[in-house]
Amino acid sequence: MATRDPSMICCFRLLFLLLFSVPLIASSSSWASMHHNNWAVLVCTSRYWSDSESGYPGFKFSFCNKLPRYHIEINSCNSKLEVERFNYRHMANTLSLYRTVKRLGIPDERIILMLADDMACNMRNNYPAQVFNNENHQLNLYGDNVEVDYRGYEVTVENFMRVLTGRHDPAVPRSKRLLSDEGSHILLYMTGHGGDEFLKFQDSEELQSHDLADAVKQMKEKNRFKELLIMVDTCQAATLFNQVLSSLISDDPICSLHYALLPHDCAATSVLDFGSSMSQYLAYGYAFLPAFKHILILQSPGVLAIGSSMKGENSYSHHLDSDIGVSVVDRFTYYTLAFFEKLNMYSNASLSSLFNSYNPRTLMSTAYYRMDLYQRPLPEVPVTSFFGSVMKTIHTDAAYMGLSIPPKTEAQFLPGDGGNHQLRIENEPDLEKDGNKQTKELHCIYHEWLNLLQERFENTDAELLFRYGFGTMVFLLTISTWLLA
Amino acid sequence: MAVKEEGDTSQQGKKSRSRLILRLGALLVAHSGLVSVVCCAAGIIAFILLPVLANNTYISENALMPGSADPAFSSQEVLDANRLTMDILNRGAAKASGIEIAKLLREYIVAVGAESYYHKFVPRANKFHPLHFFSSTTDNLDLPANPSCGSFILNAVGIIRAPRGDGKETIVLVTPYNSQNTTYSDAVSLGIGFSIISLLSHVTWLAKDIVWLAADSRYGEYMTVDSWLKDYHGPAFPGETSRIVDDACFEENNSDSLDHIKVEGHNSYVYKRAGTMAAALVLKVVDKKEKEERDSLSIYAEASNGQMPNLDLINIAHYLAVHRQGLRVKIGSIIYFLKASWVKLLGEMLQHITTLAKLLNPKWKLDITSADYVEGTATLASSIYYQALGVPTGSHGAFRNYQVDAVTLEFSPRSSLNNENVRSAFLLKTGRLIEGVIRSVNNLLEKFHQSFFLYFLTAPHKYVSVGIYMIPFGILIAPLPIVAAALFSSNNGSSNKDGSWKWLQAAKVVFLIHLWAMITSLLPYVLLQLPLVTPSSFTSAWAAVAICFLLITYLILWSSSIDCGWELLKSVMIVAAAIGLSLMSVINFSTAQIGAMLIVPMCLLVKPARKQTQGVFAKALMLTSNLALLVVAFPPAALLIAKTLFGASGNIDIGDFWEWAQILWSWNSATYMYLLWIHLPCWVLCLNIFLYPCIGSSSKA
Repeated sequence: MATRDPSMICCFRLLFLLLFSVPLIASSSSWASMHHNNWAVLVCTSRYWSDSESGYPGFKFSFCNKLPRYHIEINSCNSKLEVERFNYRHMANTLSLYRTVKRLGIPDERIILMLADDMACNMRNNYPAQVFNNENHQLNLYGDNVEVDYRGYEVTVENFMRVLTGRHDPAVPRSKRLLSDEGSHILLYMTGHGGDEFLKFQDSEELQSHDLADAVKQMKEKNRFKELLIMVDTCQAATLFNQVLSSLISDDPICSLHYALLPHDCAATSVLDFGSSMSQYLAYGYAFLPAFKHILILQSPGVLAIGSSMKGENSYSHHLDSDIGVSVVDRFTYYTLAFFEKLNMYSNASLSSLFNSYNPRTLMSTAYYRMDLYQRPLPEVPVTSFFGSVMKTIHTDAAYMGLSIPPKTEAQFLPGDGGNHQLRIENEPDLEKDGNKQTKELHCIYHEWLNLLQERFENTDAELLFRYGFGTMVFLLTISTWLLA
Repeated sequence: MAVKEEGDTSQQGKKSRSRLILRLGALLVAHSGLVSVVCCAAGIIAFILLPVLANNTYISENALMPGSADPAFSSQEVLDANRLTMDILNRGAAKASGIEIAKLLREYIVAVGAESYYHKFVPRANKFHPLHFFSSTTDNLDLPANPSCGSFILNAVGIIRAPRGDGKETIVLVTPYNSQNTTYSDAVSLGIGFSIISLLSHVTWLAKDIVWLAADSRYGEYMTVDSWLKDYHGPAFPGETSRIVDDACFEENNSDSLDHIKVEGHNSYVYKRAGTMAAALVLKVVDKKEKEERDSLSIYAEASNGQMPNLDLINIAHYLAVHRQGLRVKIGSIIYFLKASWVKLLGEMLQHITTLAKLLNPKWKLDITSADYVEGTATLASSIYYQALGVPTGSHGAFRNYQVDAVTLEFSPRSSLNNENVRSAFLLKTGRLIEGVIRSVNNLLEKFHQSFFLYFLTAPHKYVSVGIYMIPFGILIAPLPIVAAALFSSNNGSSNKDGSWKWLQAAKVVFLIHLWAMITSLLPYVLLQLPLVTPSSFTSAWAAVAICFLLITYLILWSSSIDCGWELLKSVMIVAAAIGLSLMSVINFSTAQIGAMLIVPMCLLVKPARKQTQGVFAKALMLTSNLALLVVAFPPAALLIAKTLFGASGNIDIGDFWEWAQILWSWNSATYMYLLWIHLPCWVLCLNIFLYPCIGSSSKA
């Protein structure tokens, strides 16, 4: 019985880890942008079985008086085509995508599902409590395990912005929050009725492209994502991203310079091909090398956006269910789903193959994606990095690492540090065996305690310790009973 | 004067701004003759062009989605319909009591699991109440002193509650039938109504309740539906006398059938309601003997005083009938216009003109073929006529009183319904159409509001909206104020300063004549108290009393020696007519339009017969045109001319006028008021001017 009980050691280690991990947070120097979790925010914004408003959007969107300069630009794309007004399909779109990302591995707790109306229980629904996205009624999207986080009138622009930016009332439960961190890949899917630079929420308000851009910028500043894929299926969906880029770069001194010099260019050029216009700047004689370096270090915002239609285009429904009497799915979403149906969570299909699968002829609109805020080449990014989940389990020595965000100045050391960190995390289980303790010692003195204790136990017979302990317990028990008697 | 000039110079800036419009007004007034000729001609031409300007209808409310769902109405429902039809014919024929079919229907309705009850009432005739125009409470007030108890009416009503609905809204289906003399087509229409109920009692998509009223139309379907609606909307208090009379009647006279009712329980008479009505469909079947190529559907929509249901309701019925069920959709048209050669000629001319216009600008969508024009004109004429009459074209009119959109759908099979195959196919189509319309309305989230309420139909799929048809009317009455101003100013300019108040004398005359007209309009109330029997005696009494009053009015005028020039009188009369027409155009546009076509030329042209004019030819022309217009614009004369023109043959009785007036006031038609308050005084004044002893202002001038 002289052998060490490894399980016991483990117990102790765990105990100590728990004890000491709280101070560790503060000392952790890593805010690595390694991709280690996936989130999805799926939003269906339209209410009612069938939309009854028509070609007078000016009356409906009276809200936009707050933003007078966009008032004129708002026009309903739908006034041309009456068939495009029925909102069942939006819920079906969202639920189909919900099912897909769940199937590809994003757990329910990491999906924020926002449904503006309960079509399944609408009295006009021919199939009570069921939602289908296909005429064949093979797949009930509203079956078991659908966890709707925001429903009905909770789906507002305000709540949507709160979810994205993470500024919640303290009473909001964790399940309704987007608890992403700097290592998160977020899929943001939105569908509903949209127009030029807006997306209608419910029947009363709208999300403007400015609002979305602002939210994305805040998320970036708060390190709430590593990469963000915004997918929008509405009419004129592409217009919704118009402001995202300018908001992300306009605060930078360099880009404001860039913008001042080439205002027409700024919206179109990315931060990365900034270098191409370098010579131009040099020709102007501006000394801006330190700032340029800063930009390169900041890296790209990692925002990828795809919309179902360009400006002036409608997003069409795919087909009509003659039992339910409404169209059940939009074309863009239908072909997206068709693409994903062929995949499982281990497949390596790339984003570019998804984007290339959109055929403008079958879509009846032009799927538009912009990757100027995204630096990884699309053919090398698997779709599962957004639509699926990270498969490997990661052991960290620090819980809530996401909260430990260092000041921005440290960003300069990011690339190298990130690499080290990754290495460290992955090798951690072997650290003890190899006796390679330097890194640990570097980080915390508390581990010394652990080692000390461990060393002492190594010399002691565990059996003996157990006996002493047992004896003491019996002794204590007899005394206490005697005292009580 | 010096002060005035100073003021002029100081306000020159202001004056120069207002001067243009003043100058324009003065120009128009100065050339009032030309303006009135041009405006009248343009107004009438624009009116004739209305069929060309008609647009195609479209479904404006997106939520309706007609035809997007497949109909579930199947052969099973056809069997149901057949079963009930046969049962009604067998049982109804055996016992010719009015209650038998209602009982049978209730049995059927209860069998499919719907709620059901009897609605009973005692019919009462609509009496003339001068103070109760536009109010629907007249009937409750005049309870017959001794109601004939045998004549109560019993309707069976079925209600399907929407399984997951909130019970706030209802779609009403009405099938009128005659319980005394149940025809085969009545039985079929009841069969269709029941089959719809039996289908809807087990569908899952209902969001609105469905109410089926099998209305016993023994004494007129409108009255039955109206009384049911009255009970639906007005709460019945137990203390109300009429209800007690009803009950007493019912208990007394039906002791034989009472045992049956007792078995069913008293509950079967409890009036049940569903939510507010979203729309109502009145369903009728007409069995025609002659063969046609296809089954057809006639849509009747006109309610009282030219009110129309929302165009969307007609649109979905038309869309589903044409594009889903392959029915031929018909809308009432006046046959005279279909056959008249002048309309055809006009159509051909317009065809040429529109092709020319299209050469000028290919974007103008004006092209119309001659045949289209003729048909459009005939349909438009019927549309305007029924709106102008102000009498509803069916029991859907009763719904309009409660702001419920309703249409009558009258189906007629392509050949006799006795043929088994024809009947089955017919039932299937009809049932599917009604199911489709109900499902569309069921999708609605709001009241019908997207499409037009003010329109004329020139074809089942073509409409003229208020924005277009107001233009001819506006052009037509535009010269009235101009001519009035011209007459007034010419008269004022010629006379001295005292003359500026001379128009008050003319106004007095005009006012007295209008007062006379108002008294005349109220006379029927007095006449009805007299022991007169025949309509002709009523007419002659009415005319005699009216003429007496008119003579008295003129006596008063003579005695007070009011004498103003005919020009001032004409000017004030024209102003009164213009105000009257404008008001009427708001109440019932069609009446105002037709009235304006008669009144405006008469008002503009009328001149004293004895007035000297230069040429003999001009004088003769003026005289004849004046005479012709005076004859045509006299309401009874206009009625006679219309009768002979539109082929209502038979001897013309003066009693017709009384009956005609009776129809108008019993339906609370505003046309009655227009005729007697605006048209008649205007005509009398025109006659007055025509017969003016012309020594007036014109000779002075």
